[in-house]
Amino acid sequence: MPGLGARLGRGGATTTLASLAESDCIVIMGSNMAENHPVGFRFVVEARRRGATVIHVDPRFSRTSALADLYVPIRPGSDLVFLGALVNYVVNHERWQTDPFFREYVLHYTNASVIVSADFRDTEDLAGLFSGYRAEQRRYDSASWHYAAQIHRVEGERWPCRPLVEPERDLTLQHPNCAFQLVKRHFARYTPELVEEVCGVPRELFLRVAETILANSGRERTTAFCYAVAWTQHTIGTQIISCCALLQLLLGNIGRPGGGILALRGHATIQGSTDIPTLFDLLPGYLKMPRAIPEHATLASYFASERPATGLWYDMPKFLISLLKAWYGDAATPENDFGYTFLPKIGGDYSFQSILTMMEDGIIKGLFVMGMNPAVGGQNARLARRALANLDWLVVRDVHEIETASFWYDAPEVRNGEVRSQDIRTEVFFLPAAIAAEKDGTFTNTHRLVQWHDKAIDPPADARSEAHFVYHLGRRLKELYADDDSPAGQQIRALTWDYPTTGPHQEPELMAIAREISGYRVADGRPIAGFHELADDGSTACGCWIYAGIVTPEGEHRAKRRQGDDRASLDWGFAWPANRRILYNRASADPQGRPWSERKKWIWWDPEQGRWVGYDVPDFPATKPPDYQPTPGAKGLDAHPGTAPFIMMLDGRGWLFVPHGLVDGPLPTHYEPWESPVPNLLYSTQPRSPVAPAFLRPDNPYHEIADPRYPYVITTYRLTEHHTAGGMSRWVPWLAELQPAGFVEISPELARELGIATGDWVVVETARGSTEARALVTERVQPLTIAGRTVHVIGMPWHFGFGGLATGGIANELAALIEDPNSLIHEAKSFTCTIRKGRLPEGKAP
Amino acid sequence: MKGPAALEGTTRARLGAFGFLTDTTLCIGCKACEVACKQWNQLPMDDFGFTGMSYDNTGDLGATTWRHVAFIERISDREGRRPTTLAPFQSNWLMLSDVCKHCVHAGCMEACPTGAIIRTEFDTVVIQQDICNGCGYCVPACPFGVPALSPLDGKAHKCTLCYDRLKDGLEPACAKACPTDAIQFGPVHALMDRARARVSELRTQGVEARIYGDQALGGTGGIGGLNAFFILTAPPEVYNLPAKPELPQRRVLPAFLTTALAALALGIATLFSFRRVGRMQHG
Amino acid sequence: MAELRSWRHRRAPGEPIGAATRESYYGLPVIHGPHWHWPIVFYFLLGGLAGGSAVLAAAARLLGGRSARPVVRAGRYLAFLAILPGPLLLIVDLGRPERFHHMLRVIKLRSPMSLGVWGLIAFSLSAFLNALRQAVDDGFFGRSHRLVRGFQQLPDRALAIASTVPAFFLAGYTGVLLGATAVPLWARNALLLGPLFLCSALSSAAATLSLLLTRRSQNDRAEQALAQVEFLALTGEVALLEAVHRKSGPVIGRPLRHGAEGRAFAGARATTAAALALHGLALLLPRRWRQRLELPASILALAGAFLLRATMVFGGHRSADDPAATFALTRSDE
Repeated sequence: MPGLGARLGRGGATTTLASLAESDCIVIMGSNMAENHPVGFRFVVEARRRGATVIHVDPRFSRTSALADLYVPIRPGSDLVFLGALVNYVVNHERWQTDPFFREYVLHYTNASVIVSADFRDTEDLAGLFSGYRAEQRRYDSASWHYAAQIHRVEGERWPCRPLVEPERDLTLQHPNCAFQLVKRHFARYTPELVEEVCGVPRELFLRVAETILANSGRERTTAFCYAVAWTQHTIGTQIISCCALLQLLLGNIGRPGGGILALRGHATIQGSTDIPTLFDLLPGYLKMPRAIPEHATLASYFASERPATGLWYDMPKFLISLLKAWYGDAATPENDFGYTFLPKIGGDYSFQSILTMMEDGIIKGLFVMGMNPAVGGQNARLARRALANLDWLVVRDVHEIETASFWYDAPEVRNGEVRSQDIRTEVFFLPAAIAAEKDGTFTNTHRLVQWHDKAIDPPADARSEAHFVYHLGRRLKELYADDDSPAGQQIRALTWDYPTTGPHQEPELMAIAREISGYRVADGRPIAGFHELADDGSTACGCWIYAGIVTPEGEHRAKRRQGDDRASLDWGFAWPANRRILYNRASADPQGRPWSERKKWIWWDPEQGRWVGYDVPDFPATKPPDYQPTPGAKGLDAHPGTAPFIMMLDGRGWLFVPHGLVDGPLPTHYEPWESPVPNLLYSTQPRSPVAPAFLRPDNPYHEIADPRYPYVITTYRLTEHHTAGGMSRWVPWLAELQPAGFVEISPELARELGIATGDWVVVETARGSTEARALVTERVQPLTIAGRTVHVIGMPWHFGFGGLATGGIANELAALIEDPNSLIHEAKSFTCTIRKGRLPEGKAP
Repeated sequence: MKGPAALEGTTRARLGAFGFLTDTTLCIGCKACEVACKQWNQLPMDDFGFTGMSYDNTGDLGATTWRHVAFIERISDREGRRPTTLAPFQSNWLMLSDVCKHCVHAGCMEACPTGAIIRTEFDTVVIQQDICNGCGYCVPACPFGVPALSPLDGKAHKCTLCYDRLKDGLEPACAKACPTDAIQFGPVHALMDRARARVSELRTQGVEARIYGDQALGGTGGIGGLNAFFILTAPPEVYNLPAKPELPQRRVLPAFLTTALAALALGIATLFSFRRVGRMQHG
Repeated sequence: MAELRSWRHRRAPGEPIGAATRESYYGLPVIHGPHWHWPIVFYFLLGGLAGGSAVLAAAARLLGGRSARPVVRAGRYLAFLAILPGPLLLIVDLGRPERFHHMLRVIKLRSPMSLGVWGLIAFSLSAFLNALRQAVDDGFFGRSHRLVRGFQQLPDRALAIASTVPAFFLAGYTGVLLGATAVPLWARNALLLGPLFLCSALSSAAATLSLLLTRRSQNDRAEQALAQVEFLALTGEVALLEAVHRKSGPVIGRPLRHGAEGRAFAGARATTAAALALHGLALLLPRRWRQRLELPASILALAGAFLLRATMVFGGHRSADDPAATFALTRSDE
């Protein structure tokens, strides 16, 4: 998410799945789309039928590759070199330099012309580091990355905001420190030859891909990129994604039909679970969770630190205060910062991997696990199970008795005697959960589309929905703390928790919750129509500003609409924000407001009506004309000209160079995965990300770069037949029989070396653990030539565990705890291992 | 007699026949068809275990598996090199969702001695479960290896083309679930028109596409065409399908004739042998 | 489907899984084979025996005169007794035996099994009537009862003539039944199996009757007739076995050449050929040698009939499981 957010303004797919059908070229990279998004993939197939070129870049030839026109085998973890080389190819290409379309798009819609501070030093200058690196703290001070700009303090605001930034620009794009030139210089060494050395992709093949992409970008043609967690789950994952955003900005594909970037999210509603987040560092609508630092001590200081003076985020107080009014109701008053004091403040990295270590170290005593299976599904699964065994209490809510609930008697280490059940002091509560068909609710899919699903049948026996559990838990906590005046007690007491319930089990009425999310006027409860009606004085309440207006004033939930059409299907569900389907769609028209071409028209300016019209809801102020110029000192969206499509960004432009927002650099840079068999050929003294949070603990040992004990690259992935850590699929007979056992895919070359045949048992081993599986010897996996030597890649689905019908070795026991510094996501897509024919010794610790 | 080329894309399906066009060039091997079928028909899990046959752990159609996705990996070319430029639409990893062919002239139906197997008003072939007594003759009588006896209830089972859903105006479960519309349901003649157009479009793109289930391939030998037919991109044997099968019952009359001839000859020989006895007795 | 999961088909180390699809689909069968086992083997054998006996009994009754009466008697009783277990074997073989009567819902001219059910009923009826007539004539029911005398009015000759058609049908239809399937071994030989089973039915019936009547033989001539029928039937059988072997070829005929079924088929050919040779020799030798040869010959003929049925049924399983055989049967020109 930060990858797209930092350059474009929102951390989500910029386009819709249906729009892929209008692409002229689709690049699927870091994704196995056909297997993991089969329904969405129908639009890729439709595009192919209409003549589009489909390119699949992936270490394995998968079911996606089977339907592609070009399959490009690539070394896991080297994607940024490939993308950077595409950037280098594009900016040095004659067509890109002479076709006026690219010039216009880049000049007006990106920050290419902005001049960066003279103190800025690139990785090319500092052997792999940007300026401002603090080695002892392993972090960057980003002061030298900022614009060379005029800074003006802002006075007279109801709520404070950050200073106004007025950057210097060079509209000729020649200034050596303008963003464009910095990009060009940064990627100068990302040549096709480098791609061949580092990625293992033959240069002719790379050039074919590059030519195809460039040829399919421009006024008349658009190219789309689809990516998923094989980009995200790296220590440089955010930067890989961000590099794609950079490339698509240069190619003028963002905001246009058949263009853009489709971030393919992994669950039915994981987009929803970051919109109204289960993430520790976000508030609903991607507001930043306040931290326990002086800058966030009060609401005012929070805004002074976080609220920009320009762009849509200028309205941050309206969003946050409306959220606080929704959560704390009457307890939120101007006197107590609208309840800001009740909000917990975070004190560090409380992401999933950190939680595990805190559990193991006895800091976290109790855990709720709902719809997740860390005993199988997360990095260093053995450490995870040890961590679970160290809790005082554990509540697991799931459809089946997943490994996280049964580890204390059924885990491998218990079965072989290494750990005794009676020594595990965790009190485990296992509560049955209802499945999707047994409850009402919405899913928010990978392109921000919210769709309602109806309850088809009552859940059996004691199974209940999440809403029921959380509501009644909260209700009982409120009763428990009714007379408690401590700060913790006040936090609980202040919460509004008055949803009506229905039915024999007192299910909370979901429409009541939906109305709270959608927003209403506090005084009379009247629903609001959209986030433009939110106020920063406590007169409105809204549970999530990007969903504002999802319930109409007449009480209809727009997620229930089902009228589709061949364009944007505006009456099918509701896409946040404000039902805009393709984000940044101002860019689908030229600076004068006319479509770039008839073939690719989407929205355009209608001078007679004085508004933007077309096939979609404009992601832009509806009546702002293309020739609008801001007055000096204008705030919010008024500070953006009529040619600024990226309304969330400070300057309304897509950022080629990112002065702030990414902690590991303003420009994407290749570093090797934390564990790699080869050194960094770009920067030999800086093999790994200099700021990736590492967990240096004895129970989380890392392999060295080019560690001879673990010479093979391993990548983990999903299959269509199973779902994540298997909780919803390994117990289901019809799914279990489709992929009944864990397996490892290895190339015939490696299999010959090690004497392995299909069906043999093999043991895969890292410093974290060993796991066994069946071998599948297939040519779909191939060895690559990296810097002149052969590197073998093996692949292992990570769905399998010891419970259910379809069992198998737990792939995540092999992986280590290691994070991307921006997203704090783990690196699962590329690490090292060794493999041998055989089984784990019976009765001995694996 | 017409040569095979003239029979391409033709079928003797009756007007009003409904069936499937399974276009393997659109298949992504997701197996939603297998799961939807099992769920709708409440069929149990069967034959559980890792096979190592690419991603096919199902193996075959059977009494409790009525859709089966086959996987054939053809990654390297004749010289053993892995290609990067692929012929479009699934040339290197073939995927086929196999199903009962609901033949225009069905070997199983003609073999069935109880009349359990019938042709419905949709021209599909269905085994009536309240009549079948498990004689098992339909099983080897199918040139495609579709029906099988179930050890659970002793009767023969196969795809019903969701007869119950069709009667309520719904499309079959597998066609509904298929995300890429590789499985298309509709009137057979309309589907055949569509298939011809698709095959010719694919051929111009360099794909060796062909219809399997017209009178030239698959629907041969008196079968007359398959109501559930396919578009393939390799010879049928690659997908474990017989190229030019024959309706087994075509041999019944000729075989009875040769048997009758043999009976005649043996009868004469027998009479001749005993005649001498009779005569000698008197002699 | 134990084959799927059997690691006996272990692939070679380093061999990609795609290699297992070059010749066939991972070696999996294209069609489904029949489930028939020993009950069906014995049904075929007994049915052939019964049908052949009825034919011999009819011929003996029509043309054989008094000296052939032992043949008529033994033939009629054998036909009835041999077919008694038949329906039971078939019913037990059904997946739902209690629904056996569903076979009587229809008659389908293109289904050898449907025709077979009705043919079996017709034959059973005729065999029963013939045996009953014989039993009445033999005095099993006494001579005085009114019913007995009524039965004696049954037209004996007509009964004998009428029994021939169901008898021949029973003896030969099972070959047609096998041929009307997709099993390559059977389908390729569809025109030959009926005649082959017919010949074998007649030879095994004649052999059985010879063995039964040996001691009682004042009737050299009746025995000679039996031996002659046996000889002629064996000639046909040997010729048809050779024809089946050749027509099947090396691929479709694999079960006839390898494995347990291959050995059984070789045994069937050897025993029938030996029986034929012995009979032929016996024809040239004086009488006292004849008996010495004809006894082992009959035993060999019976053994051959048994081995033939076993080969065909179990060979059919092998053939159905062999994808190469199906492709050889259904190959296109590509």
